[in-house]
This record gives sequence, C-alpha cells and structure tokens, in this order.
Amino acid sequence: MKIVILVKQVPEADKVAVDPETGTLIREGVASILNPYCEYALDQAAKLKKDNPELKIEVTAISMGPPQAKIALLRCLELGADKAYLLSDRKFAGSDVWATSTAIKEGIVGLEPNFDLILAGKQAIDGDTAQVPAETAEQLGVPQITYGVDVAINDKRVEVKRETETGYQIISTKMPALVTMSKGSNIRRVPSMQDVLEARKRPLKVVSADDLNIEESKVGLSASPTQVDKIFAPPSKSGGQIIDGSDPKAAARKLFDYLRENKFLRA
Amino acid sequence: MLNVDIETCIGCKICERVCPFAAIIVEPETKKAKVLEGCTLCGTCVGACPVNALSIERKAVSEEEIALYKNVFIWGEWEKKEDKKVIKNVVLELLGKGKDLAEKLGETLAVVLPGNDVGHLVPELFHHGADKVYLCEHELLEDYSTDGYTSVIASVIASEKPSIVLYGATPNGRDLAPRIAGRLALGLTADCTGLDINESRQLVQTRPAFGGNIMASILSPYTRPQMSSVRPNVFPKPEADVSKTGVLEEVEVILKQVSIRTKIIEEIVSHEESINIEEANILVSAGRGVGSKDNLEYIEELAEAVNGTVSGSRPLVDLGWLPHPQQVGQSGKTVAPTLYIALGISGAVQHLVGMTSSDTIVAINKDKEAPIFEVADFGIVGDIFEIIPEFVKIVKEEQAKEIN
Amino acid sequence: MFNNVIVAQQIEDIPFENIRSVKGEMIISEDFPSYLIDESKISGGHAEYLFFPNTEEEIISLIKKMKEEELMITISAARTGIVGSAVPFGGAVLSLERMDGVIGLGYDEEVKKWFLRVQPAISLAEINHIVKLKKLEPDQSIPQEGNWVEKFEKEHTHYYPVDPTEMTASIGGTIGANASGARSFKYGSTREWIRRIRVIIGAGEVLVIPRGKYKAKDGKFIVKTSKADYELKLPTYKMPGAKNAAGLYTKKDMDLIDLFIGSEGVFGVISEADVWLKDHTPQMSNVAFFKNENDALDFVTKLRASEKIKPEFIEFFEDHALTLLRNKQKEDPKFVDMPIIAEDITTAISFDLPYSEETLNEYFSEISIMLEECNSSLSNTWSAYEDREVARIKHFRHAVPEIVNNIIAERKKEYPEIHKLGTDMSVEDKYLKEIMKFYYDTLKEVGLEYVMWGHIGDNHVHVNILPRDINDLELGKQIYKKFAKKAVQFGGSVSAEHGIGKIKHEYLQIMYGEEGVLQMREIKFSLDPECVFNCGNIFGRGAKS
Repeated sequence: MKIVILVKQVPEADKVAVDPETGTLIREGVASILNPYCEYALDQAAKLKKDNPELKIEVTAISMGPPQAKIALLRCLELGADKAYLLSDRKFAGSDVWATSTAIKEGIVGLEPNFDLILAGKQAIDGDTAQVPAETAEQLGVPQITYGVDVAINDKRVEVKRETETGYQIISTKMPALVTMSKGSNIRRVPSMQDVLEARKRPLKVVSADDLNIEESKVGLSASPTQVDKIFAPPSKSGGQIIDGSDPKAAARKLFDYLRENKFLRA
Repeated sequence: MLNVDIETCIGCKICERVCPFAAIIVEPETKKAKVLEGCTLCGTCVGACPVNALSIERKAVSEEEIALYKNVFIWGEWEKKEDKKVIKNVVLELLGKGKDLAEKLGETLAVVLPGNDVGHLVPELFHHGADKVYLCEHELLEDYSTDGYTSVIASVIASEKPSIVLYGATPNGRDLAPRIAGRLALGLTADCTGLDINESRQLVQTRPAFGGNIMASILSPYTRPQMSSVRPNVFPKPEADVSKTGVLEEVEVILKQVSIRTKIIEEIVSHEESINIEEANILVSAGRGVGSKDNLEYIEELAEAVNGTVSGSRPLVDLGWLPHPQQVGQSGKTVAPTLYIALGISGAVQHLVGMTSSDTIVAINKDKEAPIFEVADFGIVGDIFEIIPEFVKIVKEEQAKEIN
Repeated sequence: MFNNVIVAQQIEDIPFENIRSVKGEMIISEDFPSYLIDESKISGGHAEYLFFPNTEEEIISLIKKMKEEELMITISAARTGIVGSAVPFGGAVLSLERMDGVIGLGYDEEVKKWFLRVQPAISLAEINHIVKLKKLEPDQSIPQEGNWVEKFEKEHTHYYPVDPTEMTASIGGTIGANASGARSFKYGSTREWIRRIRVIIGAGEVLVIPRGKYKAKDGKFIVKTSKADYELKLPTYKMPGAKNAAGLYTKKDMDLIDLFIGSEGVFGVISEADVWLKDHTPQMSNVAFFKNENDALDFVTKLRASEKIKPEFIEFFEDHALTLLRNKQKEDPKFVDMPIIAEDITTAISFDLPYSEETLNEYFSEISIMLEECNSSLSNTWSAYEDREVARIKHFRHAVPEIVNNIIAERKKEYPEIHKLGTDMSVEDKYLKEIMKFYYDTLKEVGLEYVMWGHIGDNHVHVNILPRDINDLELGKQIYKKFAKKAVQFGGSVSAEHGIGKIKHEYLQIMYGEEGVLQMREIKFSLDPECVFNCGNIFGRGAKS
C-alpha cells in the first residue's frame, strides 16, 4: 500500500512579528519548521504502518517549496517516511491555492501515481487557508475527508474519525482518497539519533516543473486566480487597562464593574 | 512578476528587511534591489518601498466576459439541532454583508439552499435579506457530503453565473468551498475578515496572514465568480424583517447514490450542548495556569456566572481535560466572541491567533509579562484562584440585590 | 611590558541630590521589597537607601555620600544569584538597572575577535538578542573610524556563549560571580569571555582594566589613586584544578582582571564591560538514555575522551529526576510537548553537538560505538536540530530544577524554615565515579530524599536534598558538609558555579582553611578599607579583624 503525505515548511509563527514603529514584518531570526498539522499526518502514516504490517505500507512525502524546504522533508524521513520529493522551481513562484494544488497534483501523478491514500494536515499555520488539500483532491478526482483525528484502513476502504462542530463522525470511503488531519494521536516523538542517521540514507529528490512536464502557464502567478493586492499591518489595538490583582476582592470588583459597564452582565 | 526600477531604487534595504520570504536582496556591488527565487508576489515590499521602485505586473482583464457574471450568492448551510434543521447563524451574518455588497453592485442577493426537506427554512432567509432562494432538495442531501453538495452547488453556479459566492468558514464550509473552487478553477479566499467592492466593481477580500501579524487584501481579477469564506461572528447578524419575502426557485437536483463516495457510519454528538465555541457569545477560556484538572471547577464557575461557554488552550486538550472541539488556537478553533475571558493563559502566539479578533478580551494571569496582556482590553495581574471566587461572589450578591 | 601598577582615573562627580534614590527602611521594605531579596530567598534583607544611578558620575557621588554616612553598599542588578550576594543587610542598595544599554561594538584586530561593550545591568538575553539581530547603530562602532558596525552586518550570526541557564542574569552580576553553567564545559566560564572592564572602587575613582595589561609581580598589585596608593597582596592558596567559583582567584602571574572577575563585588562596582562574541554554529541537541547509571557514567568518560567530538556540554539526570519528569508528563499541562521518557530508563545524558550534515555521519558512528559499549544504542536517544524540537529538549533539561523548587515551596507551607539544600561541588575527572558512589552511599545511609542532575562533563553534579521536615534539614546540612570535605579531597571545589555569597562561608573554610580566608579578607580590605562594597560576601561581615 502506498501512502503519500503532503507537507509544507512554514515560518514558526511566534517568531514572526511586526515592527511596532514601521508596521512591517520582521523576518530576521525566524526559524522554519515543518507545519505542525503535517506532523499529525506524518504521525498518522507512521501509526498505520505500525498497525498494519501486512499491508507493507510505503510512505512518500511530497512538498512544494524553495530548496531549503528540504529540511522539512528530512524531518519526514526521520519520522517514518520512506522517500521524499521536493517540488521546487522558479516557475512555481507566486502560486495561489489553485496553482499550488495543480503543481502538487502533477507531482503526485508523475511521482506516485498508484497511491492509495493521501494524508495532509488540515491547514498550514502560515496561510491558514485549509484549501490546498481539498483542491488537490478535486483535481485528482478522489474523495476527501477533512478534519480527521484518527484513520483506520479497512480492506479497500479508509475509515476516518472526523471532527464536527458538535462532536465526531465516523466516515468511510473507498481508496484512493485524501484525508486531512486536524489532530494527531499526540505521540510527541522526537527522532532518535538512529532515525536521523537513517533518514539521510533514504532518497530525497528535488523535482522541477520540467521533470514533471508541467507547462509554465499552468502554475505560478499567471495561473493563479487570486492575487494579493496589498499587505498592511492590522489595526493596532489600543492599550488595554491592566490592573494589579494582589487584592483579589478589589480586583474582582473592578472586573465586575468593567463587565457591567460594557453590558456583558445582565444588569 | 515583481519588477525593480533600477533608476529609482536607492538601495535602502527596506524591501530586504520586510520580505517575509527572504526573496529580495540589495546586492552589495550594485546597491540595488534584486528579486530572488522565493518571491511569491505577496506585495509586502511594494508597499514598504519608500521611493516606489517596486511594482508587480498583473495581466489584463477582459471586461466583457466579466460583465456576464452578476449577483451575490451565499451557501445556505443548515444544521440539525435536536432533530430539527435550522439555518446556521453564519448564513444570516453573511446575508447582512451580502446585502451590503449586492447594493453596492446594484445586484441581487441569493441563497443556494441544498438539503432534504428544508423548504421551511426559506422564509427566514428572506427575512434576513435574501432576494432569491435556490432550493435544491434531494433525499441524498439529508446529510452533508463533500461530493453531493459540491455537485449541486457547482452546477447552480455554472448555470446562474453569480459574480460573488460566499461560504461560512465552518468545518463543512471549509471542506466544500475549496472543492468547488477546484472544480470550477476559481480563486477562493479563506477566512475573510473584511469584504468590500472597489471602484472596478471587484470584491476586495481582506484576511489576516502569518497568524494575524499582517493583513492582506486579495482580488480575483480574472475569474468569476469571486469566492470567499468568512468565519462565524465576523459580521453582525442583520435584524429580521418578517414582512420581507422574495423569489423562490426550486432547482431540479439530479444525484445518484454512487456519486457520493463517502459514507457516514456513525454520528457521535457530544453530550455538551453548548460545545460549539465558534458560535458562543461569551467564552471563558482556561490555560496552563489552571494547574490541575480539578481546578477547572473555577473556570466553570466563572463561566456560569457570566453565562459563557468554557474553552481552553491546547495543553489542556492534550491532557484530555477538555475535548478538542473546545480548543482555541492554531491547532484548534478560531473564535471571535463578543467577550473572551482568558484565565491562566499566557498568550503564546499559537493561542492568540485563535482569539484576537474577539470584540473584548479580559485576561487574568499571574505573570505581568504574559503576552495575553498585550491584546487584553482589561487585564488583572493576579491569581485566578483568588480572584474568581471573589468575582463569582460579587455576581451572586448583585443578582440577589436585583431580585430584591 | 606588563605592569603590576594601575593608575585610577578621576571622574567628576555630580551633586548627590540629582541621583534618583529612595530613603527610609520602611518605604523600601514596603514599596521595594524585591530589592531586598534574590533567588537565594534568604530573608532579613533591609536597607536605608536605594539608588538608581544612570552614570559612573552618579555612582561616584553616591559612594562618597555613603562613606560620609558610614553606610555600606550592596550592589544589585538582576538579583538572579542564589547565594544571597545581592541581599543587603543594612546600608544602601545600588541598583544598576538603569545602566542596561549597549555602548558599542568593536573588533579586536590583534586576536581577530568581535566584542560588545555594554553597561553592567544588561541581561545576557538582551545581549544575545541585540547581537543576533544586529540591532546596532553605525555610530556605535568602537572606535568610530573602524566602521565595525557596518562590517559586522556582513558577519555570520554571533552570540555570547556563556549560558548560566538564567538568561535574565545581568552581565555585571555574571562577571561578579564568574558565572558558568552547562556550556562552560566547552567554552569555559565568564572569565574567558571578558575583554575589559571598568570598575569604580571605594576611593571614588575608576580602574580601566583590559585583559593582558596588568600582571602581578612578586604576588602583588599596586593601585594608585589621586589620594593614596593601595598595595594588594595576592592570597597564596592553590586553586583546585576542577571547575571553581569559590573565593577569590589567585595565581602567581595573574592578570589583574581575574582578581575582579568572580570577586562577588567586594572590590567595587563594575560599570562597563567588553564581552567577546563567538560566531554561532548550528547545534543539535541529543539525549542518550541508559538503564543503568554506571553505563551512563562510562559513556560520559568515553565521550569526554573523544578526540573528534567536542560536545557543548554533557549533562546528567539521575533516576529521581526522570521520575519527577515522568510524573509531571502525566498531569501537568506544561509538559505536553515533552516526549515520553521510557519507564525502564534510570539515567539520561544530554549533550549538544555542532550540527552539520558533513560531520553528522562520522560523529554518530563514533557515538554509536560508545553507546553500544555502554549497553545503550543510537535508537535509545533523542536528537533534534530544528528550532522547535531543540526547544522541546531544552525544556527537558530545564524542567527538573523548577519542579524541585515547587516541591520545596509546597513543603514550606507546613515547615516555613525548610529550604532546598543544593550542592554545587566539582571534583577532578578521575574521581567522578568515586564521588557519585560517595553521594549515593551517604544519602542512602541516612535515608534523605534527593534528586540529582547537573554538569557531569565537569564532574559537577548538583545533589539536591529535599528535606521533608526540620530533622531532615539539619541532617541534610551535616551531609552537605561531608560532601564538601570529600569534594575538596578529590581536588574539587565547594562551589563550582554559584559562588559563596552570604551563605556558604563555612564551606570556603573547608576548602582554603582559615589562613586562606584570612588572606582573602586582607586583600579585600587593602583596596576597600572602609568595607564599602558587598560586605558579607565571600567572608564574614563586619570590619577588618
């Protein structure tokens, strides 16, 4: 059985900040990490592999990004992927959701056409759009189940515990299919030195648009229906009122008055 | 592509500093900006350049074609509440905003309502501003499915040619909208916090990026319809006008069992009725500072006093103290209640991105340096276990006074 | 030519009234209680004055005033020390907190190293922040015409490598304490990273001391001020070969700067310092796990002996420490990101290595052999190089002390007198196993509760005795003294990094004897006859006797 995991390298969110004076983005010193949701997908793949030895599951990680995104794929190899591909090309630059999913679709079709299951994170923490996996599934013509928290393989079908607003659903569909993960099994793994060493022996290939025979007009900015018009700093919040709570009684009274004044408490 | 006007460029390096992708540098030799491979044309540098030396080239638009698309559509999502089907709040909120957009365009506002036996929901849509409802009924639409709903809505869009389609960014909305965008090769902007029409009659979609640290306004200049999703509680719900009515069009739905490839095997509804924190008006949220599971009692007590819903940060969910649907933050839900009370939450960015759009934020935390205070409208530096009981006591006393 | 005579600089003072100050014991204890305590949590601190000077001129002026009033001065900055050095017992507190800026950046062409010139109260975290982001203005170049700030822009990321764990510590405080921490295994203590200091002495004048200019002659230094000459006679005891922060530094041809570094502020106020910067190489954090502690100690010995591999540090976590962590993982929200520690593990050894894809294979292969010889394997490890992962492992390393402090805080509710007894002793390499055995045997014999962790690369393990009641506390104190004697016997120090401060005088006696301590007092009083500065640190309070 073949599982493809879609991953993305993202800037670590707590490090991206806005310069209070200029209102511009401070990028210096921001680390790049494997998107946490992608890690859930990776964990899930590793779990399926462990739980179903008879299926001989092979895990392929695919990412699109600049050359330095190789690091994120190395992490995938350390945490259980058998091989990895990085779709990296200047021609992909400026891709929005549609163009990105086009490139990823072409990547999957070209590199792992006989996949059974695609696992992806529900969203990436930099854009938070949660759209690329679903659009990729649509372009590949396979069913999707989003917001998965647990996945089981049952013969030719995949069974997913899916989060809903009021609880959970168990949904099943025939493979091939795409599942996005909104929560992992919470394994909290750190790779061992052995994992790190072995990951470097596994194949990690950088693939260009030409390698995949992708026409330039189908990807990148020119193929993107949405375009960023401008970027600006969010309206800054005027400083709130911070009081000392060392006298709990007085602080509680002030809180009460504040909430009542602002009509949060029924008078 | 991103162009640098070499004549104008003064080599000030502001572009280099602001670029989120390290994709523009000022070459030491020439002291001029140079665009590198990682450029995503996000436009940050264009806005920051003090001498306007940077510009992004976009392709031209065929106006005739675009003019064919008219009217604002909204997906009429409903949910089952105690076996009754009810329209989701976010749809009503979108009706308010949609009306505004339709009026600016001089067009009409319509709801596409797929479902099984949902005709009774139509009047409410008219009361909240819909001029027209496309009622798409079929027994296979009894439950939401990606395939069934995509198919029905995509075909209505293809035949009716709206200029704008809006979706609630609910779990199902976020499942459905990209699928439709994928099918019709359309642009889609997720989680918009602002929608407006510009002088070229385009939909200007504003959304936060990089965890809310920057805002981006996004256009879909060459494709129609323009599609956006909006989270619950972002726009106000309009007042209902029960005298209002509109045009009902019943759409013939052709759908076969085989075209719905997913099967719901089991539906597990959590016992907590009020669990949908995305729609809650007041959230009382607990963080690491709670310390132990038993101490959640304090949080519940406060929630009861202010008539709020309990939510929490990730660590509490990871330990199983709260169910994941009640988690606020990057790996949980993004909420925007009118009042958010953060208790023992330090305010790591991962949490902040999930709640900073709340109208009013109140925080209690021991650590005066906690980042939560930077976004709080009202903060108390103190011990939640000392302050909550006092607060609850005051609320009870005051309520007793009212009654007397 | 080296010189053992230093001439102090005179600086104009300013009117005392202009200095921001608070007067009155009551006001200070009520409104400024945090200035009367440090991380040692020793109680009883009190002061009549609290000063917030902005400049050297102001410091000199207030010194003069305090001498007139015959009051002593306790120097205070971040108060992160744990031996009470910054706790005042009467007199004035001189808080340097307003002098917390960066003065400039320069490049020492002789040794080809970058340095940052800073004021004393700047925190180590802030130094690293500024250096990392290169937040410097062109006019901060030292000297101006060197244009060093511009040149530094093009350099790799640099940092200040001294890491005493508590990065809110001030540079002045860490110089006074000769702070070290885990990474001193590779980089040495603060001493190695100071290029030059300015010190304001009791005479109200300033000594500018670059490293390499003033060296002792005939066991002496001469300090000349405008009013008098001071002869400083160096103590004659021999310092241990092991890591050491106990008492004053002394060596035959020593550099004058070394007398001040680690002197716990008894000679004066450090008003400015140049710190060396190091270029930053990516690191990978590793933790190896063992079922048997003896195997872990063998691994430490092997790792330390490697020609090729030079870890940043080698840290040790004993069974009780791991048990505390495991328990926390089950119940505390703060620990959800920490990977699970297997139940059958009794010892963990944490070591950071330089991260490079080129050397990784070679390093890991060598470590693999070591681990297998010690009944563990590469699979039985954690390894991280991505920022977020590294942070997870850092949390693992830093969590135990915090847990222990919380346990003690809990017990204090019942027995307010109780406090943690944490040892800070080092020994020579060859005695590592022996001292560990001695610790265990002694503790088991008396049945005290304890947790151990620490800088095993330097044979510097913190034994933390957790008293359950007053009896335990008394017993623990006796054991502590026993440990100190044994450490000294094994060529070690009674305080490898925390210093002596106001609470470890008796251990200093064990190490250097009465004569040694007396010699320290003598040199202190030669330069500060009125005992203006930090009286009570290192040796007893009160006047010369």
